[in-house]
Amino acid sequence: MIAWRPGRGPGWALLVVVSVVMTAPVAVIVWSIADPSTEVWRELWQTRLPGMLVDTVTLVTIVVTGAVVVGTGLAWLVSAYEFRGRRLLSWLLMTPIAIPGYVLGFVWLDTLQSPLGARAVRSIWLCAAVLIVSLYPYVYVFAWSAFREQSPRTVDVARTLGRSSFTAWWRVVVPMARPSIAAGAALVAMEVLTDVGTVRLFNVSTVADGVLRVWFGTGDRDAAAELAVVLVVAAMSLILVERALRGRARYTQSGVRGGSVARPVTGLRTVVVNVAGWGVLFIAVAVPVVRLARWALRAQQLGQTQSISGDLGFHVVSSLKVAGLATIACLVIGTTMVFIARERGRWGAALGRLASLGYAVPGPVVAIGVVVALAAVDRRGWWPGEVLLVGSLAGLVYAMVVRFLAVAHQGIGASVGKVSPSAVASARTLGAGRLRVATRVELPLARAGIIAAATLVAIDSLKELPVTLLLRPFGVEPLPVWVWQATSESLWVQASVPSLMIVAIGMPLVAALLWSVERGAEVVS
Amino acid sequence: MRTATRTFLSVTVLLGALVPAACGDDTAAPAEGDGKTVTVYTGRHYGIEAVFDEFTAATGIKVRFTTGKDPELRERLVAEGANTPADVLMTADAANVELAAAAGVLARVVSDTLTSAIPAELRSPDGTWFALSRRARVIVSSTERVDSPPTTYAAVGDPAWKGKLCLRPSTHPYTQSLVASLIAAEGEAAAEAMVSSWVDNDPLFIDSDTDIYKAIAAGECDVAIANTYYLGRLQTEDPAFPVAITWPEQDGRGAHVNVSTAGITTNAPNPTGALTLLEWLATDGQKTFSDANFEYPADPAVQPTEVVAAWGPFKGDTAVIVRLGEFQPAAVALLSRVGYE
Repeated sequence: MIAWRPGRGPGWALLVVVSVVMTAPVAVIVWSIADPSTEVWRELWQTRLPGMLVDTVTLVTIVVTGAVVVGTGLAWLVSAYEFRGRRLLSWLLMTPIAIPGYVLGFVWLDTLQSPLGARAVRSIWLCAAVLIVSLYPYVYVFAWSAFREQSPRTVDVARTLGRSSFTAWWRVVVPMARPSIAAGAALVAMEVLTDVGTVRLFNVSTVADGVLRVWFGTGDRDAAAELAVVLVVAAMSLILVERALRGRARYTQSGVRGGSVARPVTGLRTVVVNVAGWGVLFIAVAVPVVRLARWALRAQQLGQTQSISGDLGFHVVSSLKVAGLATIACLVIGTTMVFIARERGRWGAALGRLASLGYAVPGPVVAIGVVVALAAVDRRGWWPGEVLLVGSLAGLVYAMVVRFLAVAHQGIGASVGKVSPSAVASARTLGAGRLRVATRVELPLARAGIIAAATLVAIDSLKELPVTLLLRPFGVEPLPVWVWQATSESLWVQASVPSLMIVAIGMPLVAALLWSVERGAEVVS
Repeated sequence: MRTATRTFLSVTVLLGALVPAACGDDTAAPAEGDGKTVTVYTGRHYGIEAVFDEFTAATGIKVRFTTGKDPELRERLVAEGANTPADVLMTADAANVELAAAAGVLARVVSDTLTSAIPAELRSPDGTWFALSRRARVIVSSTERVDSPPTTYAAVGDPAWKGKLCLRPSTHPYTQSLVASLIAAEGEAAAEAMVSSWVDNDPLFIDSDTDIYKAIAAGECDVAIANTYYLGRLQTEDPAFPVAITWPEQDGRGAHVNVSTAGITTNAPNPTGALTLLEWLATDGQKTFSDANFEYPADPAVQPTEVVAAWGPFKGDTAVIVRLGEFQPAAVALLSRVGYE
């Protein structure tokens, strides 16, 4: 990079402090591995562990493959072909991200139960299908933004050289978008590894499910933590695989960027394109929303439009407060880390990734880790007065940051990294200080990417359940808690109102995300 | 570009202002230990607000509560230690409250009101927790397809029910405490053989008692093990719901019974208010508390609601309740060994 020597001390200190604070909740849980209980392991290995590993590997493989095929395929359809409703479709295909997996799960479970039978519906295949339609947007958004970035000339050249549209896509476009697709796939894999809601509905016993099974069944936190370490290791290997797949690839586009590679489709192909696009939307959005809406009408008739804690407005305010604060906190901390870490080489980057560890750990494990860590601070009485962190809004927001900092950090890092070094160099030559360059040049140029990262964090915090459930303060009851209170009793009608509300709040966020992607945000490093 | 900078800076300033505000929020909440408010952590949330409203109307003491899963609330109490705002822990399961008591977060309570209202078998011998309602886990079967349902838990493993059995997965506390009661009554080897025979019947595992009842009505299975109060809800909606209850083990120890419980926390800021709440729930509040969820009151002198009373009297295996927590880890291990989902 540009040759100037920043004052290193305070930056390092800040970086280390943030990393320690963000890693502490996972560390207190993982600490127990220092003294592994071999007896528990032997028993686990002889009983459930092999099955859990098989289920986990199977599920991750099917879901990642499915999400990559669906996400990349759809992104290609709406990028490569021109047809009526293309623009609308390309936006709508992003909306499933606003529907929490645990909502999609119970809606489809109940919908398919009558035609397929209760036994057939509880299978790893249907679980995978639900996870695919719920998670493909992560791949779609990355692939879509990568395809948008590619010059139409690349495809034109391939076609001029006698390749068909498909071959041109497969041999030229996809390889160039590979880093983005791999990043999306890694996010999907992480979500599947840490999922504890959807898998239980479908009787799939993954390792994450096993952590809760051991912990809550026997009260043996140490044994559960040891199992959780398996997940952390798996997630870390995933990140390494993703980095390897990405390699040192830096593709340079020739000629004009942007513009449209889309060409009109006709005849049978129009049908195929429309059926694929609208078909996925039908499964992922239309059926669940219609089903929820009908339940919500029933809830209206029965007068069940409020929870045991308050009315809809009260829950909406809670959700907005928590998701809003979590997003702002992730943005500020993420941006600060990106700017400090990038001038500090490999170790800086490593610390940045370490601070993102919470994303690789199941929500309930993070939640209890945060309670243990914050309670330890509370006992020291470092704060004035009677203020306690456990059960405060600050404690909940902190837990959300631990869980979702990775999303903000990656997104912001990617877009700031894309700012042309010459723009920075020019500003420096003109005498601007580092802070001035950051705030006047780099952040404004990276604005779209930062907004994209912010909306992703906001959507994630809006849907988050386990952390919210354990850490919410009195008088703050975000919508997912209400959904949980109803679904844990199989009361789908009562769960419909808050579920629909989560989707409704998520929609403008999806629109903001799409807007920023269209403005050139690349959502990933 | 200027705007973006300003936005970023104002966001930073805003965050700086919000962090203390977020902490401050908590102190603005009803003061702890003022004697006017009781704080409850509850793993039971069905119909709970109506009960608390009635308590406030009767005593003038306000209740603020947070809902959650029994084991997570226990972990939170342990972590908070002396700083906990909770006066009362309520659970939906005996084993979980025993684990909380073993972790030292529940105080020993001496109260004549409680000991005279709640039978000795339904409270911890050391006074750390008290049952408030009983929930029976029984054999249920289709009224359309089953003439002679099993009358013991062992008979559920009869090959006649192969492919016709629905059970709740082993992740759920209800399954774990049922198996804990089998171990206590029959010994580990016999319990293992029994649960094995269930698994041999290739059961359909459904993680929701309501859905288990619905599966029987839909013809997906003929026989299942489930809690009675879910049938209460279903029969309220549809009095002709085609599933019947069989009280198991009536010639022996009685049907498996679990309990909803409450205990006062060791570090309760308002132990007096907490005791008032527990005593009220064990006496004047018994009926509202149990009826809200079609359960059996802990005080045998209090009558259950009409729908529940119509199922008739039964013998319950209450002797084992205080020991369910002790056998729970063995039950979880057993369920793993026999390959129960």
